[in-house]
Amino acid sequence: MTDHESPILPPPAEGGTLTGHDVPDSGLARLHLRGISKRFGAVRAIRNADMTVKTGQVHALVGENGAGKSTMIKIISGVEAADTGTIEFEGAPVTIASTTDAMALGIATVYQEPQLFAELTVSENIFTGRELRRGGRVDWAAQNARVVELLVLLGLPAKYATVPVGTLSIAEQQQVSIAKALAGNAKILILDEPSAILTDAEIEILFTVVRRLTASGVSVIYISHRLDELFRIAQEVTVMRDGQTIGTYPIEELSVRQIAELMVGGILSDERPERGIPAGDPSLVLKALGRTGKFHDVNVEVRRGEIVGLYGLVGSGVSEIAACIYGIDRATSGQILLDGKEIAPRNPGEAQKWGIALLPANRKLEGMFSFQSIAFNISAGHLRLLSRFGVFVDRGRERTVAQDLIKRLAVKTPNERQAIGAMSGGNAQKVVLARQLVERPEVLVLAEPTQGVDVGAKEEIHRIITQLAENGTAVLVVTSDLAEALRISDRLLVVRGGTTTVEFGPEATQVDVLAAAAGAVDEEGHAA
Amino acid sequence: MSTAPVTGSGPGVRPPAEPGQESVASRVVRALLTQRIVLLAVLIVIVVALFFIMDANDYLTAPYDSDYMAASLINAVPLAMLGLAELLVILSGRGGIDLSVGAIVSLAGMVFGFAYGQWGWPLWLAILLTAAFGGLCGALNGFLIAYIGFPALIATLATFYAFKSLAIVINSQRPISTKPIQELFSISRSVELPLIGQQLPNVPLGIFTFLVPTVIVVWILLARTSYGRRLYATGTNDIAAKWAGLPVRDTRFKAYVYAGVISGFVAVVTVGQFASARPEAGVSGSGMALPAITIAVLGGVAITGGIGRVAGVVLATLLIVWLNAGILLAFVGNAGSQYQLFALGTVLIFAALLNGITNRRYGGSR
Amino acid sequence: MTMTTIEGGTPSGEPPTVAPRARNRILPSPVSGQEFVLLGVIALMWIVLAFTTPAFMTAGSIQPLLVATAPIALIGIGMTIIIITGGIDVSVGGAIMVCAVTTAKTLVDQSLSLPVAVLLALFVGAVLGTINGLLIAYGRVHAIIITFGTANLFQFLGLQIFGSSTVNGIPQTFAFFGRGVSGRSFGIPHAFLITIVIGAFVWWYLRHTPGGRHFYAIGGDPHAARLAGVRVQRRILLAYLITGLLVGLASCFVIAQGTSTLDQTVGSGKELAVIAAVVIGGTSIMGGRGSVLGTLLGALLVQTVTSGVTQLGWSSQLSDLFVGIFIIVAVGADLLRQRARRSA
Repeated sequence: MTDHESPILPPPAEGGTLTGHDVPDSGLARLHLRGISKRFGAVRAIRNADMTVKTGQVHALVGENGAGKSTMIKIISGVEAADTGTIEFEGAPVTIASTTDAMALGIATVYQEPQLFAELTVSENIFTGRELRRGGRVDWAAQNARVVELLVLLGLPAKYATVPVGTLSIAEQQQVSIAKALAGNAKILILDEPSAILTDAEIEILFTVVRRLTASGVSVIYISHRLDELFRIAQEVTVMRDGQTIGTYPIEELSVRQIAELMVGGILSDERPERGIPAGDPSLVLKALGRTGKFHDVNVEVRRGEIVGLYGLVGSGVSEIAACIYGIDRATSGQILLDGKEIAPRNPGEAQKWGIALLPANRKLEGMFSFQSIAFNISAGHLRLLSRFGVFVDRGRERTVAQDLIKRLAVKTPNERQAIGAMSGGNAQKVVLARQLVERPEVLVLAEPTQGVDVGAKEEIHRIITQLAENGTAVLVVTSDLAEALRISDRLLVVRGGTTTVEFGPEATQVDVLAAAAGAVDEEGHAA
Repeated sequence: MSTAPVTGSGPGVRPPAEPGQESVASRVVRALLTQRIVLLAVLIVIVVALFFIMDANDYLTAPYDSDYMAASLINAVPLAMLGLAELLVILSGRGGIDLSVGAIVSLAGMVFGFAYGQWGWPLWLAILLTAAFGGLCGALNGFLIAYIGFPALIATLATFYAFKSLAIVINSQRPISTKPIQELFSISRSVELPLIGQQLPNVPLGIFTFLVPTVIVVWILLARTSYGRRLYATGTNDIAAKWAGLPVRDTRFKAYVYAGVISGFVAVVTVGQFASARPEAGVSGSGMALPAITIAVLGGVAITGGIGRVAGVVLATLLIVWLNAGILLAFVGNAGSQYQLFALGTVLIFAALLNGITNRRYGGSR
Repeated sequence: MTMTTIEGGTPSGEPPTVAPRARNRILPSPVSGQEFVLLGVIALMWIVLAFTTPAFMTAGSIQPLLVATAPIALIGIGMTIIIITGGIDVSVGGAIMVCAVTTAKTLVDQSLSLPVAVLLALFVGAVLGTINGLLIAYGRVHAIIITFGTANLFQFLGLQIFGSSTVNGIPQTFAFFGRGVSGRSFGIPHAFLITIVIGAFVWWYLRHTPGGRHFYAIGGDPHAARLAGVRVQRRILLAYLITGLLVGLASCFVIAQGTSTLDQTVGSGKELAVIAAVVIGGTSIMGGRGSVLGTLLGALLVQTVTSGVTQLGWSSQLSDLFVGIFIIVAVGADLLRQRARRSA
């Protein structure tokens, strides 16, 4: 890939030498990473990355999925060790070989999934493993006093100290995780997509908290896909692309659109296979569909033979929409129409009867029967069709169907009796996809069809999707992979804030769409 | 906060090494560890050979020969059948287990005693009623577990107490041993096999009337029917099963019903064996559930669900039955039955630790 | 169950105010909702029994009830810890047998003083508990399977020590724990008193010490507990060791409650009775939640039912039916409450 960059962009600052910022302690580097590389087998997750985090600043880290952000975080927090490169902490070189090392330096990480004990109180969760003691017992008074301080700092009611964490909302649990990180006197707080699961009001509270923390000298590394919010919270931003750090910029020198350009690079969208846009009546229609607390007013039309992309960032509500079409959840407002008739699937079985198939987003959790064979994995969900008298599995037909799909989808395997658990991500994904194709579906919903899949398999899966559409299936691709959304969609809808916003045609560019999804619409008036 | 692991394989799952790269020895070790059937077959051969040698050297109090081995199979009937019942419920996943099978055997046995011994129902109808009643008891378990969401251990602990109590109270602690019941003892007698029987030892009748049909039906159910597929799918990953459109609750519910039906048949066998419908038949001592669960685990059924085969349970039963039969001859008096406990406990712990090692080294057994 | 109805339902997004009570309220209410309900049910049963059977509210009826409650409640204390960590122990029946027969036989053969005899029982119990603990903590096999196995081994061991007959002529060394006058102070049986004292201590330990809270953390999420620096394997081993010690003491109670003869059925079926008491007491079989107070109440409830059923002149076997129903009701109510909490 080329490293072409738009000329309107300011030159990237060299590691940590940014000047002219009137933030507290400006210029004082707390954490300095230089020349970091990390390989996982044959995959180079990070190549020669540099990053400098200053004292009392919010440092944003952005990049497309797979750009290497999470590997950077893992290296800083001691989950993974870097292959090469140096790390300096407050001016002195350090080795971060374990999470304990990181904690000792005052580096604390708040992951998306809070690692909390639901039955224990907030106070206990914050101090588990490092309880304040008096005599042999926990010094509840001292512990609670400290927790109340933290809760007040975070804007939570002080009485939460003694409430079991399981009774709090997800947002509150996340704030408890932050409190837990802070109780260890964190100097660097890493927030991994904290806003993804929060409502707007909750994000406001989060920002207030982050500002208070930085004012007291804590450095925050803030990872987010929502580019617009960076302008309200971060002072600097490091952009990653393809395992490399493209550069670090003062945030006010950039716009959402410019960050998007940096993330995508000058790369043109992959050539989209030329195909005619099908016309005709829509097959699947979502009319003002909503589910309380998840999404609202979602309007989508998919014609027979058409591929419609539904692009949204994690937490935008996009995955919940797919779950409603398939009967996993039920919509609370609006309609789902199939060939003009209203349907309300109560479970996936019903959705299947209407000819709707869905490739689930989380392959391991929702898709795979790990220690069962490929044939088993393909025929599950079609047992009625593949049985004699609806009772006995027709093993001959099962084998034929499996072998046929293995061939059609080019699954790399000696035979259909292999266990799916031992296969590569791409192959396993093809098998789960094959399950959706046994009974040619009228409507195929694909959620994150190529997540965790290697490039070759990705290519093939895209080809398969296009073929399916050409054979007359209405395809809805729900994805947070922008390149993919652009590449295979005939039309692309951006989901933001729980609702469908802008629609793009095939001529859209990555930058347009990313900017729209990340919230540049207001900033620039119109996105397309 | 914690989510139960959805698959049985441990975190260190490794794809199996390419065949051909490993030596014969390591391939044998892998077969023994990953193929429970192979391990059990080898163990059976070792056990039987050991007792033959001991017999030949006059260490045993009575001859350990094929006739003795065949006759001891009568003990395999309830054990293997309940082992298969446990196979079904453990396969269904989410901590599936049934502690109540012994109590169902007791209670259904009393129902059979009433129907056949007191009300004078025809035998087939009485058996049918007993099986249906067992199914009803299982349905209560299944309802609590699959539809209400009780942990299986708790639900079946509660129904264990309830069924056990009802079995004893229902006829005021008295067994039923009327004439028709006493005559039922004939199902425990040994018969000669037709056609090829002359060359073979006589085999207890219960093997053919109850055990073999149950084995075949359960095998067909698991290996050949769509229900079996749904059960394995549900036990392997019930979230994926839901996303694949499978009726997860219904599948799990039925596993407990089928376990109840099998327990009902075992009740008939047990009544025949004792020539009396005894209220404490299935619950005296450590009861029938514990040995049945032991057999299932020994047979390679993963307690996490989704892994387990009929052949494993059958071979595990044969191993334990023939091991026990030999132990009885190796000790004088009561000591034999005590060493059977020792053998059962040791073999179970050994198998469980082996499962752990297998999971870590080879990513699970099949 | 540790969730209180008083503080649990606080709506989010309240303005941040420093509640003055926050410093005093260190943990959720010491007595949970289910424990109040249990207390109520037990009180109700006692009242009903007092009116329906004139003999119930007499020392001659209450004292044996308390004595009989003691061993189940005592082992239940250990079982509560085990179940809080997410484990289970179905081998306690066999362990009781081993401890009881070893101690009884030694008592017959040579005269031991009370403390020495108790120490012997404790030692045997500790060994058995350690075996379970080591296999479960370090063998990385599910507790139920390991303890099914050791249940068989312990039974074998017990029967071996028994030989082929009962143990006869056990001296009255344990009269202090027994049913007689020497087993009571101020009318309260010593066995029950000791159980209450140990229960109170363990209740305090689980509630107020870091080590105690770590049991809950392990049951909640063992992986997260390890990350937080909890020594998970050692804690699990400790849980089974404590249970072993309590089984040892409980076997002294069992010997004291019996006649001078100990037969081979000792301990049989006790594992399920103990688990029933713990579960009725509100401890979650999934781990991470439970309290000793609940277990003590659960054991008392089970024994009240048993005693009440016989006093009402019903078949004593009917009590098991009620135990089963109590388990369903107790756990079912908890399930429904959690479902309501989740959907709220």
